[in-house]
Amino acid sequence: MIKDSIYFSLNEIRFSKMTYLKSWEEFQKAAEKLYLQNPTKARYNISYRHNKGLVALKMTDDATCLQYKTENQQELRKMEMFLNDLMRHMASNEN
Amino acid sequence: MVLLEHEKFFAELTKLFYSAREKGTVRMTVKRYDGRTKPEPRVGKEPLPTPVENMCLIRATCRSKKISTIVHGQEVKKFHQKYASLMRSSMDALKKQRKPKTKSKAAH
Repeated sequence: MIKDSIYFSLNEIRFSKMTYLKSWEEFQKAAEKLYLQNPTKARYNISYRHNKGLVALKMTDDATCLQYKTENQQELRKMEMFLNDLMRHMASNEN
Repeated sequence: MVLLEHEKFFAELTKLFYSAREKGTVRMTVKRYDGRTKPEPRVGKEPLPTPVENMCLIRATCRSKKISTIVHGQEVKKFHQKYASLMRSSMDALKKQRKPKTKSKAAH
């Protein structure tokens, strides 16, 4: 039951089939939502491959997986800001 | 998994980034951590004591080398500053956005 409701609420922002989101804004919005649904279970991954100049991001709660990859350095700043918000929330007692 | 102090973690992370320059991937995971050291017991058994404080667990791996650190609520700001600047200097293979070519147009 709970899983179904998560699936549908995330389905609203159109990525039930595609795990890779097309824009940073879309990813950030969806990832934030996914994290807030279950802060204790969600994890955020950053992987960096130097020889390809690629950063891949992932937010998952083991049921839904959201991904985004970029080669654009400009987006590093946005990623940093998002990470800041995320870490602040993780280390607080909010739910 | 080696749990390190912040200073040591940053030093090791710099090394990880350096070792992945030729080839390989550096992966980092950020997760909420409530301080428990045991898995959640099954239903019916005595549950774990309720967590006192939420923290942030950060793990980094490159090939078989694994490091991790814990960030408490008050340290987030300081930690993030360092972390962000380390990422900015290490992730330098990303493409910079090209400036629009206005000059070549004017030449015609």
